[in-house]
Amino acid sequence: MIDARDLRKEYGDFVAVEGSTFSVDQGEVFGVIGPNGAGKTTTLKMLAGLLEPTGGTAEIAGMDTETTEMRQQLGFLPEESPLYEEMTPISYLKFFADLYDVSGDVAQRRMHETLDELQLEHKERKLGDMSKGMKRKVAIARSLINDPDVLIYDEPASGLDPLTTNYVIEFTEQLAAEGKTIVFSAHNLFHVESICDRVAIMNEGQIVARGDLDELQAEYGETRYHVYTTVEVPDAVRENGNFRTQVDSMDAVEATRTAAEDAGGQVVDIRTEESSLEEVFLNVAEAGTRGTRYVGEDGE
Amino acid sequence: MRPAKLLRVAKWEVTKNAGGVDKRTLVVMALAVLAMGAVAAVAVSGGGPGLDADIYRVGVDESNPYHQVASEDPSFRVQAPDREAFERGDQDLTFYSANRLSRPQTEKQSAALEALRSSTESYNDRTMARADNQTAAFPVTVTLVYQEQNGTSTLDTSTGGGDTTADDGNGSDGPSAGGNGTDGQTSDGATATGGGSGGSAGDGGSDGNTGGGEAAAAGGGANLGGIGAQLTGDVESGTPGDISPPFPFESLVLAFLYIVPMNFVIQAYGSSMLSERLNRRGELLLVTPASRGDIIGGKTLPYFLGAMGVATAITALLRFSGIAPSGSLVAVAAVLPIALLFLAATFCGAMFARSFKELTFVTVTITVTLTSYAFVPAIFTDVTPIALISPLTLVVMDLTGRSISLGAFAFSTLPPLFTALVLFGLGAGLYREEDMFTQRSIPLKVLDALAGRIKSRKSALKMSAILIPFVIVAELGAIAFLFVLDSVSLNVFGTNQSLGIVLVLGVVAVVEELGKSLHLYAGYAHARYERTLRSAIGLGALSGLGFFLAEKGLLIVRLSDLEELPIGDAATLGATPPAGVPLWAVALLFLFAPLALHAVTAAISSVGARRGRWAYVAGVGVAVVVHFAYNLTVVSALA
Repeated sequence: MIDARDLRKEYGDFVAVEGSTFSVDQGEVFGVIGPNGAGKTTTLKMLAGLLEPTGGTAEIAGMDTETTEMRQQLGFLPEESPLYEEMTPISYLKFFADLYDVSGDVAQRRMHETLDELQLEHKERKLGDMSKGMKRKVAIARSLINDPDVLIYDEPASGLDPLTTNYVIEFTEQLAAEGKTIVFSAHNLFHVESICDRVAIMNEGQIVARGDLDELQAEYGETRYHVYTTVEVPDAVRENGNFRTQVDSMDAVEATRTAAEDAGGQVVDIRTEESSLEEVFLNVAEAGTRGTRYVGEDGE
Repeated sequence: MRPAKLLRVAKWEVTKNAGGVDKRTLVVMALAVLAMGAVAAVAVSGGGPGLDADIYRVGVDESNPYHQVASEDPSFRVQAPDREAFERGDQDLTFYSANRLSRPQTEKQSAALEALRSSTESYNDRTMARADNQTAAFPVTVTLVYQEQNGTSTLDTSTGGGDTTADDGNGSDGPSAGGNGTDGQTSDGATATGGGSGGSAGDGGSDGNTGGGEAAAAGGGANLGGIGAQLTGDVESGTPGDISPPFPFESLVLAFLYIVPMNFVIQAYGSSMLSERLNRRGELLLVTPASRGDIIGGKTLPYFLGAMGVATAITALLRFSGIAPSGSLVAVAAVLPIALLFLAATFCGAMFARSFKELTFVTVTITVTLTSYAFVPAIFTDVTPIALISPLTLVVMDLTGRSISLGAFAFSTLPPLFTALVLFGLGAGLYREEDMFTQRSIPLKVLDALAGRIKSRKSALKMSAILIPFVIVAELGAIAFLFVLDSVSLNVFGTNQSLGIVLVLGVVAVVEELGKSLHLYAGYAHARYERTLRSAIGLGALSGLGFFLAEKGLLIVRLSDLEELPIGDAATLGATPPAGVPLWAVALLFLFAPLALHAVTAAISSVGARRGRWAYVAGVGVAVVVHFAYNLTVVSALA
């Protein structure tokens, strides 16, 4: 559905994005993560046809991202989407519906349905009088007014309160469940982890790792084992009447079991804990890897 | 560009902004516009309450001939004659009898006497104009021929003035009200035939000689004759007092009506455009299927239609109110390029400015520059080649019922029209994500706009040609501003050229060298061109060639009579070859030499530009000097 090949963007002597290559299948949710200045937003804007790549190509459904036909199928939500504050949600959405050639009846139905789903009240209140969360909901509704196949969301929950953030994330999950292809970036890696099928980790303008979450965790994360014993063993801490020891390999688990039995006790539970995406990301960043690692994919 | 999307954006622009202006502001704006129109209409129609109404009290019997004179002049309040009231100062003038008037004792009483004298002249003129036998009423015919000054400021005041030989008094003028010396006004550089003007209004009495003095004084106004003019009125008979100086004040006031609303329009337009850039509001429009052209065109259309609607309404109002009955669609059409130029310049300004504060500075600059461009040439309405530089002159001509040739219309309107289109094109180059929301200084934005149009080395040729309208407008503006200096002689390097011509040649050199090289510098600054010496020379040659081809291709000055004026001929460097010159010489002078000049000077600038800003400044400086020397040589040779 989305195919980016060797994307490059230069601003004078500064290279914002270099050699960015990835593809996103139809119905997939693809996350782009990275520290500030990593090139995430620039990459998304090249996908949306807002920025002309200095090099490389970006196609959506086989069409160049700068064509009108492609834009017709695209919903873009930038990180900051200041609205025309003198308009109401309805007049604002109607205007964009017209630009996307959505017929009047369809536009009316779609905008009311979307705003209802987003639980946005006060549809006739001026946007300038609305809270940031309400404005964000209107912006999301705007990105859906043309019923696009592809959604590119840059930090959709940026700056929102936890309640609204959760709502926006859940709504995005719902869109994914409806079969939309979504490219999604967020600083909050928990959000990415919760809804993305695959992610690309960017740093200093390059994709430094890419793959599905499990495989990335296996490659860059670590599995920790929490061994619960009835007796105290070295490095154990008391927890709920037992002793818990954290180790990072099965050999260490066996060693802990032996130590417990030697002390007259036994192992009552062993739990595993995988690295979070945040830890994976930190590991990748610390590794300072140059050049993309394609995890679980055929190298391209 | 798709009309449906453009119109949708236009509709949105109207509704969005309509929602942003509260009703009270709208009412205040409407009242301000109405008040402005009313004041202007009153000003040009000469109506309305006078500031000097009833300021003099005159005591005069109804049987006295001056009673009618004073009654018809609103500055007088007519009372019964009262000697005591005069002595108390309650009356300014008192007629003791038909021919006996109080002697003025105060400054106000003297002023009242002067006013009565003037009013009597007018009254007599009106009376004579109503006479059945006009030949008897105005037995002397004066034919005035205004002539251009020939570079000297010597005034010919020897004729026309001071001829105050009074006809026999007709009895209506009393001794104190006689002495119509208004014929002195005929002396502005004029050749008077028929023995000058007589005091045909029946001035008699002892004050007749005052006419001579007034004539001398009026001679001071003869400098207006330096403009070269014809009478603006259609008066075929009357007194010399009916002759107006060749300054279409009323028409300029009317034309001003067309310009003032544009300044309101560009304020709103500039704010709307800039607000799209601040806080990235316009980003979402860029990602829709609407093209840049749809968005810019749609956002501009309401303001353009507004400006043209106001122009149409003003024309209709003037026409149907009788103030300017000849006003037609020609006046409206002449306003079109001005409106577009205002909008285009504001659009570029809004794309360059980083804040509303900066935009204010930009719009003020645009207002002053373009208003000057429109008005200064229009002052010379009666010197057609100069005046036609401004489309406003067409408005003035149309409002005053003069015919306008197609060539004159094209000459006047095409340069600003093309300039407006180029400005829109340059601004549109910045209407994209990576340029719209960056905060760069205005000079850097200008370079961005130019560089945005550079795709390859051939762009050097294309850009020089594209920028030709700017060059023409700037040069025409310079001619209009420096025209008044045409009469000042200055011996530069022994060429004996006038100061105006020398300055125009300098301006032409600067403007043309900038037009040829600024885009080259932008190309180097944005790494569009290689910085090698060979590349620089090649780009300079291409730029010079593009400029030369566009310049010769347009030759718009031929649509006017600009070359008839020395300063116009110098600015265009004799676009028309003089008669009798061999063909090879024509080819050399008018084709190869200018081509070589443009290519060489552009190459000099290009070589400097490739090494950075200060080297570019130095390169352009050298190119300007070479260009100026060439211009001066050619003008002197052709003189």
